[in-house]
Amino acid sequence: MAKIDRKFSKELKKYGAFDFTSCYNCGNCTAVCSLATKDEAFPRELVRLSALGVKEEIESSLKPWSCYYCGECSSLCPQSADPGELMMSLRRWLTARYDWTGLSGLLYKSVPVLVGAMLLMVAAVILFANYKQFNVKEIMHFGHLFEMYAIATVFLLILLPNILRMWYLTVIRPGKNPPFTKYFKSAGVLFLHMFTQKRTLGCDDNQRRWFEHFILVIGYLTLLMMTVLLGWMGTENIFVIVAGYLVSAIVFIVTADFVKERIKAKKELNRHSRLKKLSRHSRPSDWLFVIWLFLMGLTAFAVRLFVDLDIINNNLWIYLIHLTVLVQWALIIVPFGKWTHFMYRSFSMYFQSLITENNKGS
Amino acid sequence: MEKRIGVYICACGGNISDYVDIEKVKESITGENAVLLAKTTMFACGDANQKDMDSDIRKNDLNGIVVASCSPKLHLSTFRAVSERAGLNKYNYVHANIREQASWAHSDDKPGATEKAILLVKAAIAKARHASSLEPIKIKSKKSVAVIGAGIAGIKAAQALSAMGDKVYLIEKESKIGGNLLNINRVNPESETGEEIVKRLSKEIENEENITLLTGHRITSGSGNIGDFVLTLKGNNNPGEDNFPEKEINVGSVLVATGFESYSPLTGEYGYGQLPGVVTLAQFNKLLKGQNGMSFVAFGKEVKSVAFIYCVGSREIKGDNKYCSRYCCSAAIQSALDLSERFPDSDIYHLTRGVRSYGKQELLYKEANRRGDLFIQFPDKEPPVIEEKDDKIIIKVKDILSGKRELEAETDIVVLVTGMVPVQDDNTGSIFKLPRGRDKFYNEIHMKLRPVETAIDGVTIAGACQGPKNASESVNSALAAAAKSHSLVSTGELELEPIVAYVDEDKCTWCDECSKACPFNAISVIEMFQKSIARINKSTCKGCGMCLPVCPTDAIELISFTNKEIEDMIDVLSQ
Repeated sequence: MAKIDRKFSKELKKYGAFDFTSCYNCGNCTAVCSLATKDEAFPRELVRLSALGVKEEIESSLKPWSCYYCGECSSLCPQSADPGELMMSLRRWLTARYDWTGLSGLLYKSVPVLVGAMLLMVAAVILFANYKQFNVKEIMHFGHLFEMYAIATVFLLILLPNILRMWYLTVIRPGKNPPFTKYFKSAGVLFLHMFTQKRTLGCDDNQRRWFEHFILVIGYLTLLMMTVLLGWMGTENIFVIVAGYLVSAIVFIVTADFVKERIKAKKELNRHSRLKKLSRHSRPSDWLFVIWLFLMGLTAFAVRLFVDLDIINNNLWIYLIHLTVLVQWALIIVPFGKWTHFMYRSFSMYFQSLITENNKGS
Repeated sequence: MEKRIGVYICACGGNISDYVDIEKVKESITGENAVLLAKTTMFACGDANQKDMDSDIRKNDLNGIVVASCSPKLHLSTFRAVSERAGLNKYNYVHANIREQASWAHSDDKPGATEKAILLVKAAIAKARHASSLEPIKIKSKKSVAVIGAGIAGIKAAQALSAMGDKVYLIEKESKIGGNLLNINRVNPESETGEEIVKRLSKEIENEENITLLTGHRITSGSGNIGDFVLTLKGNNNPGEDNFPEKEINVGSVLVATGFESYSPLTGEYGYGQLPGVVTLAQFNKLLKGQNGMSFVAFGKEVKSVAFIYCVGSREIKGDNKYCSRYCCSAAIQSALDLSERFPDSDIYHLTRGVRSYGKQELLYKEANRRGDLFIQFPDKEPPVIEEKDDKIIIKVKDILSGKRELEAETDIVVLVTGMVPVQDDNTGSIFKLPRGRDKFYNEIHMKLRPVETAIDGVTIAGACQGPKNASESVNSALAAAAKSHSLVSTGELELEPIVAYVDEDKCTWCDECSKACPFNAISVIEMFQKSIARINKSTCKGCGMCLPVCPTDAIELISFTNKEIEDMIDVLSQ
């Protein structure tokens, strides 16, 4: 028997949920949702469960990850209960639940903490540079090592345990033990969704946007790999250097076009929507990942340019900026921010397919 | 006097003439004894035919009219009015129904329908031969009204009657006026409390000369009839004085506004009377009103959460109270709003069977929702279960909106939102023999068309004694009842239908059978010609005819339905 928890709705509102308690359960949101199916119906059900505050059920639900926030439900809600934003808040809340450190929740709920953490990273980089007496070569060498170690550490200590927690909460605790072999059989689903995010097409039929997004994911990933594994910034290999420039150029052009389209679409939506406040509730942390990714690419590009122009020794500051952005990205934004949504979504599809296949089997 | 009868046979635009050969009907009655003229018409009720009838009556000096058309329910009064306009007493008019009783009923057998229509018209003619002019019974009426019950309905009715110039006795059995309104905190949608409204009204009626307020008075007996009721009252506000003087009042009409009682939960119903913290809505309102501190303290603990259970004693699946009490959903929401206004951090649950906050009251529901009150609709047949655990009350409930999930909530107070039931002490009802409906509330004659009149002439009903109503609905019905009662007493004279029973003094041997059969208490015994005979009170008799068949000596006749008339009609029909 599930226990009603009235504090839950108050807590959820700290994660951005709007006036979802005014929902009168008409079900328009579920009817209009292009991703909801008969077997997997949302958002009304989750709005109701959230109002009741039955935490355990919400914790074990994968449905919040099935929503890609097109906003259709919110614009049609007769009670202005903003179900789309509720789904978003549930994802933020779940991210905080999965995170064993508890930092995700803290960073979502408090802007000062977020800003403080970012400033702490700035201070750390400056102190470190000071400690190395602003020796360009040593700092750049360390920076390269840091990239590799930081990513490995974050993955092992934060992301992996969190994925395991998600797995425990959504698959194991509700008692849906899939047979061992299914984990391999369903692995394809995980990679398909992680790299293509193809489910968004069911929500938004803008193929161009999806394709650009796909290019960006691949592009940034390539750029990251080139910097971390091939050492783009320090290498003498002319092939790597040129390839790096090329990828950077593609990424910048596509990013610019993507942002432009996004702004246009939002204006359009606002003009047609009764609910002008749509997306007004996006948290600062939602945007950090995208901006920082861009800044990282931009500063990496600038550093490589400075190296090639041979002016890096007198302009260490550009590398320090890059390092700061990198550190903030790797230690704060990736493990505790919006980026994890991308990871959890893919795993949610994976877990869902484990469970459904299991049900089919039995 | 020689009868000169005119007969009109209506085609009803085909409704009749498609199945009944109306020309044949006309032919077969032409030449009948006393029939002076017979006509067919497309629409008897149409203006053109009404004018024709008018001139026929005047020209031929007709003194009997028969129209064969639809049901008398539809047009009896239409054609009575035509007779009157043409200077003929309306009781000389006889109606024959050849639509519902012939053409519609026998649409599969046209010759049969025609044959039946002919007989029906002939029977009507037979009755018309006996028809005579009748004058309405005129009786004097007292220009005063007794209003029983001084709740909001009674007070407003008394004010309305007083404003129209009638003398009003406002009778209340309690020592102060206001009734159930006194127990209501805030009467939505205004911010005034029940007590404040009563105070204001009390001040208003204080100086009204036409209103005699009799608080602490019970009616001990009532007699008489419309226009002339006699009520005996006994004061009970001085408990020390047993022999408090009786008082007699004489009024033309009685307006009953005795209100309702709150359903009182059975012991053990949702833990009522067993668990501390389970209270009715009225008790909860009192508790809330009495809070003076910073936190809500009751039953020796701080109250942080309150659960309202709706429809207690209303819309019962198993019990007798099948009806919805209308006011309780809104009243409960209003109390919840009062609570969250006073103690904003309270957790409030509403366990409902569907919220019926109709009309403007919907705004209250919306506001409660907005404030974060949790509404849970449980399945009709699976009500919540209340248990006690440590210091808390545990509610187990199934939530329809999340697929009947079984939920558990902790709460400090459970409020049973009780509905309305009829007043248990039915003193007034039994004195006036007021009919009650299946729900045991007083019954009106017709819910839509005669909503404040009862089967007892001169007695009107208002407010929640008639069925669950909120304050404003009670006032609506009170003002309607006041207008109706006023119309009975305003001129000081009443005209009653002359179709009543009368007794043949020679034949009557007073066996008491007729008075037992009379549903209106209209028959009494008197001594006349050295014997006991029955006397019929003309102003109470409704002409229903119940006394006729039970009379062993055939001493009772009903005007315009005499044995001779009925026998003649039967003779025609059995030809």
